[in-house]
Amino acid sequence: MKKTVPLVIGMLFGAFALAEFYIPHHQVGALSNEFRSWAAILASSAFIIGGINILQVTWPKIRRREPDWGYKVVLLAGAAVMLLAGLPWHKLGDAPTHPTVTFGPRLPAPAPGEPPAAPAVFVKVPADVTYQIGATVGAGTGRLEVVRVAPGEVTIKLSRRVPGYATLETKATLIERDTITVEGDPPMMWGRDGRVFVWIYEHVFGPANATLFALLAFFVASAAFRAFRARNTEAALLLGAAIFMMLGRAPLGGAISDVFPDFAQWLLDVPSNGGRRAIMMGAAIGAIATGLRVILGLERSHLGND
Amino acid sequence: MAREHWSERLQRFDRRWIFLVMAVAVVVPLYFPLGLPARPDPMTKAAYNAVEALPTCQLDPVTHQPVPGSPRCARVFISIDLDPASTPEVEPFYRAVVLHLKRKHAQLVIATTWYQAPPLVERYLRETLDVAIAPAGTDGYAGAPDRAYERNVDYVNLGFRDGKGAIIQQFGTDLRSAFDGRADDGTPLDRIPMMQGLNKLKDFDLIVLVSAGSPGAKEYVQFVGTREKLPMVAACTAVSTTDLAPYFQTGQLVGLVGGMAGSAGYENLVGKPGAGTAGADVLNIANLVVIAAIIFGNVVFFAGRAHRRRGGRS
Repeated sequence: MKKTVPLVIGMLFGAFALAEFYIPHHQVGALSNEFRSWAAILASSAFIIGGINILQVTWPKIRRREPDWGYKVVLLAGAAVMLLAGLPWHKLGDAPTHPTVTFGPRLPAPAPGEPPAAPAVFVKVPADVTYQIGATVGAGTGRLEVVRVAPGEVTIKLSRRVPGYATLETKATLIERDTITVEGDPPMMWGRDGRVFVWIYEHVFGPANATLFALLAFFVASAAFRAFRARNTEAALLLGAAIFMMLGRAPLGGAISDVFPDFAQWLLDVPSNGGRRAIMMGAAIGAIATGLRVILGLERSHLGND
Repeated sequence: MAREHWSERLQRFDRRWIFLVMAVAVVVPLYFPLGLPARPDPMTKAAYNAVEALPTCQLDPVTHQPVPGSPRCARVFISIDLDPASTPEVEPFYRAVVLHLKRKHAQLVIATTWYQAPPLVERYLRETLDVAIAPAGTDGYAGAPDRAYERNVDYVNLGFRDGKGAIIQQFGTDLRSAFDGRADDGTPLDRIPMMQGLNKLKDFDLIVLVSAGSPGAKEYVQFVGTREKLPMVAACTAVSTTDLAPYFQTGQLVGLVGGMAGSAGYENLVGKPGAGTAGADVLNIANLVVIAAIIFGNVVFFAGRAHRRRGGRS
């Protein structure tokens, strides 16, 4: 039973996914869409299961002080920090979503013959806040600033120049000679777009991720010296192709001679694509065979051993 | 005791010297660029031509709405599937293609299928869409200026969805349900005028894939591209170029921008050199270092073998 039910589910859904390609009926398409939504939900749920799994695997090793247990503490602590930083805590409070707009005394009436005075908006925001009053965009200075706008509905937006803070937005309808004072301090957000999460992403995860990838350049250079030897004809061909490819794909090759980029392109278009296509087709046929075995219930390794 | 042959001594060459040379080769061109022109390859040119072939709408300079009689604005779906590690190779393409699309006043819908990508995507949107990339008077840029785009007016960020091939397949049949009918900021898609008529990938004029791996361009080709006959342009890391080149050859991708060299070529075509062009300079020298290491390693190898054949110490 433990294996039969998953096997039958796999068979049914596998067969449907295959049949769906050949049945151009809208109801089949709708059902297929529904199943794909389930797949997306299952994939998202896998993150939760993955989190629990990490805890199950690493916690006993930390408790037993197994080798490198310290790294596992860092792993769990990192995951916990990102989880906490990624939750939208700011929604629990009552952080402002609009700037404060206060109507002040109207400007004096113009003298006869003079044009009517345009409404004035007095903006008082911290120095790291950008304001948008109608079409006027400016940087806050911490002091009172005046923006003249045309009468009518005016959109007012306050946002911080660094990411992770909410944008305060409102609208005000102004007539000639009106004055308003706009004040506000965009509050910090939590969650995926919040200040803490974004800061850790940009200053810890991003550089660490990029550094690991960048190390490849050094290992490639070292491997080129130690391992890339023309021991036989095949290796010599590979070596020659690699040299032409490296020169041809960099601007230097083109600067030396058109032969390098042209030959590199030929290598990509003919031998590389030919070989790659053969591999892809072989893999595809293998995938079809495995898929059919799953659908027919012959393949059971994905269900586990116990 | 016989004196050790020079090739044997060099076989034990401390590889940290290679690391040092590589570090110098990477850093120096960043400060003293060679400035060699990045020649776009045929696949990059094809990507550029696919974007260039999109209709260019004429906008009212004040309202930014299409003027009567103008062709409709092109609608382009951009999937940004990358992480910080791959940004040096594909981010320059993203910036160049967005400038290219903005010059044509294209309306953009953006999504990602990589869980590492959303904060990066938000930064890209802030830096390339919410503000102008190349306003009038930009140094070293002779092309048409672009303008700041407005969120949910000129572009929509749908955000991240997990599900790999399955979710990409759903983009192809029902984009709205894949994102629960809402943009990433929670705005219902039904309330965004530019989303009218955009229900699935087939409704777009072009699909641009900024793809650093899996899921990415390969899954788009396999799950929706071929089935729906979508015009798709992809940018990938250099190492993935050979994976995707067969799809370009068969027409399943209408353009392919491979690695930093491809990005530099695209920047060259758009007329605004950026990080890709600077990176291509690094590529020049770094590739030479690798070639020198290969040649040096083989000289040492063959000299050692010849010495052993002559009866030298093994």
